[in-house]
Amino acid sequence: METVLSIANISKRYGKIQAVSELSLEVKKGQVFGVLGPNGSGKTTTLSVILDLIKANSGTFQWFGQEPTNESRKRIGSVIESPNFFPYLSPVINLKIVADIKDLGYEDIDRVLHLTGLYDRRNTRFKTFSFGMKQRLAVASALLGNPDVLILDEPTNGLDPQGIAHIRELILQIASAGTTIIIASHLLDEIQKICSHVAVLNKGKKLFDGKVSEVLAISDSFDLSAASIELLSSTIRLHPAFQSLLPGIDKIQVFFKDEIDAEELNRFLFQHGVTLTHLAERKRSLEQHFLELLDNNNK
Amino acid sequence: MIKLLKIEFKKILTYKIFWILTGLYFVFLTVGLLMAEFMINNIVDNTNKHLPIPIPHVTIYFFPWLWQNMTFFATIRYVMIFPAIVIIILITNEYTFKTIRQNVINGMNKAEILISKLLLILLISAVMTVLLALGTLIIGIAHTSDLSLVQVLEKSSFMIGFFLTMMTFQIYALFFGFLLRNTGLSIALFTLYVFIAEPILYHFLKSPIVFNNNISPYLPVNAALSITEYPSIPVLKKLVGLNLQDSISISACLIPMGYAALMIGIVYWALVKMDL
Repeated sequence: METVLSIANISKRYGKIQAVSELSLEVKKGQVFGVLGPNGSGKTTTLSVILDLIKANSGTFQWFGQEPTNESRKRIGSVIESPNFFPYLSPVINLKIVADIKDLGYEDIDRVLHLTGLYDRRNTRFKTFSFGMKQRLAVASALLGNPDVLILDEPTNGLDPQGIAHIRELILQIASAGTTIIIASHLLDEIQKICSHVAVLNKGKKLFDGKVSEVLAISDSFDLSAASIELLSSTIRLHPAFQSLLPGIDKIQVFFKDEIDAEELNRFLFQHGVTLTHLAERKRSLEQHFLELLDNNNK
Repeated sequence: MIKLLKIEFKKILTYKIFWILTGLYFVFLTVGLLMAEFMINNIVDNTNKHLPIPIPHVTIYFFPWLWQNMTFFATIRYVMIFPAIVIIILITNEYTFKTIRQNVINGMNKAEILISKLLLILLISAVMTVLLALGTLIIGIAHTSDLSLVQVLEKSSFMIGFFLTMMTFQIYALFFGFLLRNTGLSIALFTLYVFIAEPILYHFLKSPIVFNNNISPYLPVNAALSITEYPSIPVLKKLVGLNLQDSISISACLIPMGYAALMIGIVYWALVKMDL
């Protein structure tokens, strides 16, 4: 698959703080790539480097397989940190300025204003906007001219639940059209709902990356025990939601792809001729899992 | 080029502060012009009280000397500060609103950011020169009896001097704006330099006790404002016998342009080196 963005060993230091350290990433065409990490983990710094806002102390990056130029940035739509527009100008004029810079015509402006639900306010000054509307205008400006890549830094930050749902729906819609999307977020839930791939950052370091389904695949697990562990192990593999198995001395820990309840599991095994001597459910929320990941790194 | 100007034009078209400050420049200029002749004649009247033969009243509004007088009054620092503040605000706004970051994100490079502001300065200076020329023609035609083309246009080259002064002075302002990035701080320091720091330095360097040298006229603001150094009142010239400026000198133009070029270089270097 075509590589859209490749980052190689980027480091950035602000005085004593190592904001990003030896970071390498690869984003392929069509991926919805999440950069997940707590506040201060280096997400925005990384995005600022790849958009030429700040210079990395070391390391390189390439857009579309080439050295980055301002022409490559014209193919990228970005929302970084806060919505940056002229407060005394209307959304339409602000978007015209963006279109001018990107060498686009003005015919796409109405479309992105409709998409983000700002069309009715197109001629009111930006400074009269609520924060949610400002954020939506930033998304509108990023969508201008159907860019090859969309970069969104905390796109739902500060939005009300309705606004969050609206923006997420919009992102999924754009992703389904084949646009590559890079999203930075500290919200695990958000990354899980939107992204196909994820890289988890902490303290400027990449903990790991891969498919969301693999990295963040957490189903509840069960501790099981029976007279014959062997029979139990072979039988549990027949369960349609079975994912993996961790053998122990006198019991096994079993992971499932979907949520399974204890009663159903017990019935399933009994029907297949296994009588459990021990059954304990281990519940672990996604948030917990994420925190554990970070925690392991901090140790 | 056209694209960059188009973008800058969108930023100022509906920007009230821009129009108010630019308007104030012309208001103060008009007030200054009206008061100038009145005040000179006031001095003449006072002097006449002690003279056996009275000096005739002077007028500064006739061709061809009007060109020089207009450009002199249009480039005194009290009016020049307005277009300079306009430029500072337009530049520091980009940092305050973080639109400079957004522009880079959207695909502008650092050079284009600087060039777009320089083009804006060029445009503002050109438009102001045209406006001043029109004003001069109207006032001059109303006050001059001999309206032959030679008489009217003889000293119009002072308009080039005005254009250069306006341009270089605004480039000085650009220098402060880009390097300090903060609107209030830039305006405060620029004003402080123009009205206090450089005048003090000027007299300090000039004073015979200290240095007694000729560096003073080469200080940046003084050099820019001295392209059109004196008003011209022929009657008084004859009386006082001073041989004052009566044309634009090329060397006087080159010094502030040199400063401006240096400042543009430093700003470009800083833009490329520093994170946004």
